[in-house]
Amino acid sequence: MIKFKDVNKWFGSLHVLQTINMHVKPGEVVVICGPSGSGKSTLIRCINRLEKFQNGELYVDGMPLHNYSINLTKLRAEIGFVFQQFHLYPHMTALENVTLAPIHVRKIKKKEAKEIGMEKLVRVGLGDKASSYPDQLSGGQQQRVAIARGLAMSPKILLFDEPTSALDPEMIGEVLDVMIKLVDEGMTMCVVTHEMGFARQVAHRVIFMDEGQIIETEKPDQFFDNPQTERAALFISKILTH
Amino acid sequence: MIAYYFQRLIEIFPFFLKGLWMTAIISCLGLIFGTILGFIMGVLRSQEVRLFNWPIGIFVSVIRGTPFVVQIFIVFFIFPEWGIQLNAISAAVLALTILGTAFICEIVAGGIKAVPKGQWEASASSGLSIVKQLRLVIIPQALRTILPPLVGQYVLLIKDSSVVSVIGVVELTRVGWLTVVRIPEGLMVFSLVGILYFVISYPLIRLSNGLEKKLSVGQISL
Repeated sequence: MIKFKDVNKWFGSLHVLQTINMHVKPGEVVVICGPSGSGKSTLIRCINRLEKFQNGELYVDGMPLHNYSINLTKLRAEIGFVFQQFHLYPHMTALENVTLAPIHVRKIKKKEAKEIGMEKLVRVGLGDKASSYPDQLSGGQQQRVAIARGLAMSPKILLFDEPTSALDPEMIGEVLDVMIKLVDEGMTMCVVTHEMGFARQVAHRVIFMDEGQIIETEKPDQFFDNPQTERAALFISKILTH
Repeated sequence: MIAYYFQRLIEIFPFFLKGLWMTAIISCLGLIFGTILGFIMGVLRSQEVRLFNWPIGIFVSVIRGTPFVVQIFIVFFIFPEWGIQLNAISAAVLALTILGTAFICEIVAGGIKAVPKGQWEASASSGLSIVKQLRLVIIPQALRTILPPLVGQYVLLIKDSSVVSVIGVVELTRVGWLTVVRIPEGLMVFSLVGILYFVISYPLIRLSNGLEKKLSVGQISL
């Protein structure tokens, strides 16, 4: 579904992704973790081409992203992206946020799109908030609307970039519950997160990154109980004691 | 004597209304064309594409950095030398359009740049084309920033239209000049001219202030 082959990226002289090789199979849930500035957000932003990379090959759903002439609209229609800061459209209601892309990208009729939108909002537990504007919703509710927005296009892949990092602690659970439900439904997901409980519970694999490199790729139990590198062990100990 | 002049002024008041009408027409056309072109240029400028950015930047700097009266002279007296023949009214509308375009371009570009980067990323991630991103997501939000100064700019354009009297367009200010020859009571004549400008500018000033308040508080659906 997603395949990185020797991908390198630089921001100026900073080598932010160093010879990245990884793959994600359909239905797989991969959690990417690592310290700040390790390149994990850049990595998943490459998957829907929010970031370009300078060399290497990246295939997403069979499309070669290293080929810059690919149809970005087609690519992005198949990938949902959930941001740390939600980025809901503030001038639209929750339902309008969710139905915008189905109407204008998939060309679905408004009535049908509304039905799909309502179904997605109900799925994230916000059926009663369809006509609310983002600033009338809590952080957790906004993030759930953002997930519904990502789901509305019936994507093949969902990417999450630290989806709970901007939330108050009491709201993290409601977002994680929605994500766990998606895992149970077999969605292919790449999740950048520090929620180690989530990683241990639902991830098929954990990827640990540091300084632009993938240091470890392990099954969650193996990663948490028996990390293979000192850097990973140090990271886990720091994160678990917080 | 003053009563006599006042009586004369009332008699020729319809002449002032004609001048006011001409001011309204040239200002209105100038601001409509200026808004359309200003929006197009502003959107291009906000994208920071080098191909567009530097010619637009030079255009904006030249227009903002030179007096409007000089611009009018160039449009009316120099353009014909390059084969562009314009009557006084067309020249006035063109000059006001150019002036409006330059200022509105900067207002629009500033408004678009003020929309958080995340909105671009979220709309791009949904698969929207750049035109749809702008139309559906970015510009509706940028309007909050754009509208109050845009309406303020309209007021300035209406007032700047008085300068076109120098090329013989019989608009409100020109009517004042023509009247003061017959009624040598400058204060009275130009007070009337000022009042008539105020009559069309004031509602726009109120609108600008109102928009600023309304758009800065709470959630409104644009």
